[in-house]
Amino acid sequence: MKPSLLLLAVFAAVIAACGPSPIDPKRQLGAHPYLPPMHQYLLPPMHLANKASWGNKTPKVAAGLKIRAFAANLKNPRSVYVLPNGDVLVVEPDGPMPPSPARPKDFVMQWMEHKTHSGTKAPNDILLFRDSNGDGVPEFHSVFIRNLRSPFGVVLVGNDLYVADTDAILRFPYRTGETSIDVPGVRLCKLPAFPIDHHWTKSLTASPDGTKLYAGVGSNSNITENGLSAEIGRASIWEIDRATGAHHEFATGLRNPNGLTFEPQTHVLWAVVNERDELGPDLVPDYLTSVRRGAFYGWPYSYWGQHVDPRVQPQRPDLVASAIAPDYALSSHVAPLGLVFYTGTNLPVRYRGGAFVGEHGSWDRSVFNGYKVVFIPFANGQPSGMPQDVVTGFLDGDNMHGRPVGLAVDSHGGLLIADDVGNAVWRVTAR
Amino acid sequence: MLADNPRSTAAIAGHPIHVMLVPIPIACFAGALVADVTYAETADMQWANMSAWLLIAGIIFTVLAAIAGLIDFFGEARIRTLRAAWIHVVGNVVVLILSIFNELVHSRDAYTSVVPAGLALSAITVAILLVTGWNGWSMVHRHRVAVLPESGP
Repeated sequence: MKPSLLLLAVFAAVIAACGPSPIDPKRQLGAHPYLPPMHQYLLPPMHLANKASWGNKTPKVAAGLKIRAFAANLKNPRSVYVLPNGDVLVVEPDGPMPPSPARPKDFVMQWMEHKTHSGTKAPNDILLFRDSNGDGVPEFHSVFIRNLRSPFGVVLVGNDLYVADTDAILRFPYRTGETSIDVPGVRLCKLPAFPIDHHWTKSLTASPDGTKLYAGVGSNSNITENGLSAEIGRASIWEIDRATGAHHEFATGLRNPNGLTFEPQTHVLWAVVNERDELGPDLVPDYLTSVRRGAFYGWPYSYWGQHVDPRVQPQRPDLVASAIAPDYALSSHVAPLGLVFYTGTNLPVRYRGGAFVGEHGSWDRSVFNGYKVVFIPFANGQPSGMPQDVVTGFLDGDNMHGRPVGLAVDSHGGLLIADDVGNAVWRVTAR
Repeated sequence: MLADNPRSTAAIAGHPIHVMLVPIPIACFAGALVADVTYAETADMQWANMSAWLLIAGIIFTVLAAIAGLIDFFGEARIRTLRAAWIHVVGNVVVLILSIFNELVHSRDAYTSVVPAGLALSAITVAILLVTGWNGWSMVHRHRVAVLPESGP
């Protein structure tokens, strides 16, 4: 090695070592997380796990539970949805093509995405699995809908099945028991997508009375580095009139909202949100929150209420003044993508009425965080305790067998977990 | 004086490689400063992106120019006796190091990728380049480094 190259390597190592050490994530759970000072890096830590197949292993579960693969050998399964007759839909999206690099850093980011996400080329289909006797072994499966465009969210209202592609909400006619839909979807409304489409997963749910749909539209950047004009209509939850397709922003400032779902007792909309990167290993905490109509949750101008982010220009003190803090921190960079309230009866009684959150896991933190499914107890429609680990073992040292994404509760009360790196859907039931 | 000018070792058919390469990083780093100033004025990300590209190109061509330059520097003892040559070499090593830092600063997201650290580093880089460029040119027009002997009729 030439001395100059050696010098460069030492230089890089020294810079990479600069920066605060991660704190215990437990300090950032619940309504009042500890927020350390910001740290802007020269070289942000990237700690990427190596993809390693599950083999005969499975994730680990908390006491009193058991887990087995409900479906395996899938292609990038990212969300699961249970139809009223018990059929399970599994969405296999292929993320949109990344845009051409805007600057040299994008080459590094695209390599990182490739390293940490499912390498399986997905067909952009939705699969259907039928497990009539509830033993966790589907007797039947089929391709339910083909050739979608990076689909993620699914919701059924009456006989209308809605799929959130990355660029539009489509409506398909559905009859109970149907195992495939061949007619093309009808577009209810367009969603912000190309050409950049940074956060492309569009989460979807319907109001309890079925008149409105809610779609999560993630930001088009980490923190406006693609320009403010790329963020129009993004980092928000859209409310869409089901009859007309008319839409408006129901709540804003939510960097990447996913897992949209109504709390069953109070009928309030909740979501999990991925917060911004590159302010340190412990900023900004990702969160679980009820979503208030018309509220502004800070992104991009501020985080956790009114902590101003200096990276955004021009600043908007007027908007910062109106920003509200979310309800419940999940700690930093856990990347929550799935949320479901437990309405079944199979799992132990302690899980009833609470929320499960699927944490896809960190990539920009020297000590991994997330890579598990946690449970948050609820009482009277509000979180009532600390998160508990329910499903772990996705990581094994520096090896990553899987990453949890979307969650659902099946008609027999099992908890379903889409695992987009392990290419499986896991099912958790009482032991 | 004939055939007695300090010679360029890294040359193609008598044409020194170093002087063919140096305009590129100079233009890139000067362009990066202009892009940074424009970004600081407008907060339009295209200027910050342009600066990041100019910096990476400047770094790559600085390394290439430095390889050719150092071959000349170590290949000809008479070059190493010139004070201007030492200022040129040391100054441009500083330029390279600062620009690597600057590229890292520019890899941050949005405003703080430029303001204030990136902009300051770009300005310091250009200021040093004025000194090293001046001394580099002195080596040629004053000390006749790599200038061919007159071969008139």
